[in-house]
Amino acid sequence: MYAEHFSEPATSHVASAPIEHQFYPYASNGGTILAIAGADYALLAGDTRHITGYSINTRFRPSIHTLENLGGPERAIVVAANGFSADGDALVRRLAQRAEWYTYNHNKPLSVSACARLVQTMLYGKRTFPYYVHTIVAGLDESGRGEVYSFDPVGSYEREQCRAGGSAASLLMPFLDNQVNKKNQYDAATGLPQVATDLPLEETLKLVKDAFSSVTERHIHVGDYLEIKIVTKEGVKVEYFPLKRD
Amino acid sequence: MDHMPENWGRPRNDVYGEYQSAIHNAGQGPQSRTQTPSITGTSVIAMKFDNGVMLAADNLGSYGSLARFTDQERLIKVGNETVVGISGDASDQQYIELLLERLLIEDNYPQDGHHLRAPHIYEYLSRVMYNRRSKIDPLWNAILVAGKNDDGSPFLGYVDLLGVTYSSPSIATGYGAYLAIPLMRKIVSEEADAKNVSEEQARKVIDECMKVLFYRDARSLDKYTVATVTLDGEVKMDKNVRCQNMNWRFAEGIRGYGTQKQ
Amino acid sequence: MSDPSSINGGAIVAMVGKDCVAIACDMRLGMQALTVSNDFPKIYQYNNTFIGLAGLATDVLTLSEVFRYKVNMYNLREERDIEPETFANLVSSTLYEKRFGPYFVGPIVAGINSKTGKPYICGFDLIGCINFAKDFVVGGTTSHQLFGMCESLWEPDLEPEDLFETISQALMNAQDRDAMSGAGGLVYIITKDKIVKRLLKTRQD
Repeated sequence: MYAEHFSEPATSHVASAPIEHQFYPYASNGGTILAIAGADYALLAGDTRHITGYSINTRFRPSIHTLENLGGPERAIVVAANGFSADGDALVRRLAQRAEWYTYNHNKPLSVSACARLVQTMLYGKRTFPYYVHTIVAGLDESGRGEVYSFDPVGSYEREQCRAGGSAASLLMPFLDNQVNKKNQYDAATGLPQVATDLPLEETLKLVKDAFSSVTERHIHVGDYLEIKIVTKEGVKVEYFPLKRD
Repeated sequence: MDHMPENWGRPRNDVYGEYQSAIHNAGQGPQSRTQTPSITGTSVIAMKFDNGVMLAADNLGSYGSLARFTDQERLIKVGNETVVGISGDASDQQYIELLLERLLIEDNYPQDGHHLRAPHIYEYLSRVMYNRRSKIDPLWNAILVAGKNDDGSPFLGYVDLLGVTYSSPSIATGYGAYLAIPLMRKIVSEEADAKNVSEEQARKVIDECMKVLFYRDARSLDKYTVATVTLDGEVKMDKNVRCQNMNWRFAEGIRGYGTQKQ
Repeated sequence: MSDPSSINGGAIVAMVGKDCVAIACDMRLGMQALTVSNDFPKIYQYNNTFIGLAGLATDVLTLSEVFRYKVNMYNLREERDIEPETFANLVSSTLYEKRFGPYFVGPIVAGINSKTGKPYICGFDLIGCINFAKDFVVGGTTSHQLFGMCESLWEPDLEPEDLFETISQALMNAQDRDAMSGAGGLVYIITKDKIVKRLLKTRQD
């Protein structure tokens, strides 16, 4: 278990020089997350497997966090930070605290866009010793439309219709481009590119479960269970879906 | 005339201000805080059962490959219903014991209806571990915390030198993750499985795991402690347990990394 | 990025359908981030067998000539066409000959056995280890993206036209998420008595 921390630095050194044990303050804990925004919902999903190296630490560690908010259950914000789980936990806990203070200080709900800007400043605040995570924030805007924001480890962010993050993001993302944003699809009658329209929730759920089942097949970091959090005007609904455990 | 030679050839204090001797005395190279573990303890293993949590750790304190101390106690009772199992550096273990002792005293307000339970100790330890890693000055340990939740259900959690945390019905640190987890997951793979496992069954598996670890982990001992936290609020510490019914016949068949010729 | 197998970039994919197979590649040739050509097909045909070669472009061109030579010699000696299974073994042994100084390629073979009529696809690593797949094989710098697409789009017993749509969508959407490949697509749909070659017009960035 400790062997990885004992490994010598990659740079070569003189054989007679004393070997310095280097502490590497990061690890990778696997897993994958995925968010899709719809006309009247926002969805954030992630698998519950937690790993170090080839070992499965636990099969069930839910990683999608809900930020309760002023203005009713429909203003709740869901957030996940995937990568190095200790940093992810620290970021999400700190964000939850800051979001709570915001509601006390301003006596109004924290909008998803403001939350996203807050996440940027928190990530960039550790620019020189980054949180090693891919962060996604999702929720509903004032009019009830779904919105998704995604971040790189140091705070660059963008609003998007959908985004995959984590170990298997490279497997999921082209599928999302194709099925959600209708990329490379053309109308048979007119020959014009198909335009992306908001998907109904039922279809999105099917898509997400299919995508994760496929990715589980090909990526060893992904599996066990899929946790899906859906924000609608009724509030946050949680769903679990079994994935393969090998 | 200044008769003190150490002051000669220096900028005058009355003109240039106090000489900054800190610069002169600074060592070579960057400041380094990262230690390396010296006396180490190997795996800690733990699993839930129908009436609580059982954990085990052997009594060896290794100094590299030398079996230096053979009566190390690595399962620490914290309060009345929590056990903390520590692997890794022994001096950092002692420091953690000190922290937990302080925590126990400072948070001792039973008249307020507050009890320091396993989840609270776990939360505290995980914050300490993550903060130390963030200072690049880690406590070189992997820790298991076992006890019960406020609602009376069993609790088991892991935290390590990086501040990585997780919970599972069976957990092991070090080589236990490779050798003991597969054996423990045979009977408690899911949280729900723990309800179908008796204390006797759990003990049998724990003893088996400690034996397998002694067979294959070169930094282990056949003398260990088994701690049992039951939901009725008792902690049993079974100390100086010995591996039973060992069979070393398989050792004859091992070839390839010794000095033997064939 | 000095890794030889990801200097020039490329995407290759092959799929099995109902009595048919398809193999497709992108059209990009790059030097690291710079696109040098958008007319660099990576699929070669020998008799009725196809091979897609992704990897270091110099090795792609060298190997394509090596295989042309070896298949021609086979044709002269045997006086018959080479079958996909036989060709796959030829590829494997050719690559393993260079075990300690390998060609930096990830080949994929596709074809239909002229005797049995059975579709055949397989992939290789750079030293010739064969991956016998029943469904699809992927290769090149885009392999992760292709795995994600194929695993979710592919289904058993697709008819030739449906197989064309599936492999094309898999290729195009995968290569759009890889900066090292793209700039067009090339698809072969192979049935027992017909080979259809189609060029895909895609975004050029």
